[in-house]
Amino acid sequence: MAVEAFSDEWARQFKDEVNKSSMYKSAAKGWKWTVGLVVEAEPDKNVPESVGVVMDLFDGEARDIHVGPASDAQACNFVITAPYSRWKQVAKKELDATKGMLQGKLKLKGDLPTIVRYTKASQELTECTTRVPVQWPDEK
Amino acid sequence: MHDPGARAVARRKIATIEPVEYADAEPSAFASMLGGLIDANIAASPAKRQDFDQLSARVGIFVTDIDEAVTLDFKRGSLIVHNGLQPRRAITIRAEAATVMNLSNLKIGLFGMPVYYDEVGRDIAAKLVQGKLRIEGLLGNLSTLNSVTRIFSVQ
Repeated sequence: MAVEAFSDEWARQFKDEVNKSSMYKSAAKGWKWTVGLVVEAEPDKNVPESVGVVMDLFDGEARDIHVGPASDAQACNFVITAPYSRWKQVAKKELDATKGMLQGKLKLKGDLPTIVRYTKASQELTECTTRVPVQWPDEK
Repeated sequence: MHDPGARAVARRKIATIEPVEYADAEPSAFASMLGGLIDANIAASPAKRQDFDQLSARVGIFVTDIDEAVTLDFKRGSLIVHNGLQPRRAITIRAEAATVMNLSNLKIGLFGMPVYYDEVGRDIAAKLVQGKLRIEGLLGNLSTLNSVTRIFSVQ
């Protein structure tokens, strides 16, 4: 059953998908930094306020994923920022996250060599988001 | 005795030259990413810094699936990153985004040669054979390509 995008239930299911992924487990071995996703508000798409997704990822495991204020996500070691509609494109596989970053559609803050070293893990994280059935606020 | 001129010397501003600079007032996201990556790599590794200090070449990278390109103008200890492909390039690499990112994950082995026998290396080699990774100007510039690969590698 579809869950509301960027809700607590979505975060729980996303975390479960990450922890079910053997590919993520091996690709993210040695990763020990927090990742924040900032979903920028788009009031015309029924997203009136920016939200943050905070991911505590450690050595191939998602220890915690929760949704909160954007400022929490901005305080993470790595921060990826994009408007709501871009994240929707990523989750629907309409936009590849790597391409999105190279095009500046997703803005990345953090140590570049580290994130590049874990390209495969970040691609699998994106794959995990696509496995969570989502009800999008602009499609209600 | 205190040197009266010392204060003036201490306050003199020393001009610092950044190793990586951008030719365009608004570098593209791709240019910023590559420039930032190289900047971080040479700061972290004396071996990469040595390669960087010795390299003089213009290298173009074109990402085929997003139509984004940069030219890396290495000038023995400094780099100017241009948006788009500039003329007089020694080497031009053309590949999809994922392959370009994978290039920076190539391990460096014995004698500073890129490793093509592990998973990442085999994938890159396969892309070369399939024509999905094209390197123009390779003939006569193999050592330049190896230097760029070493500077670019995060491994």
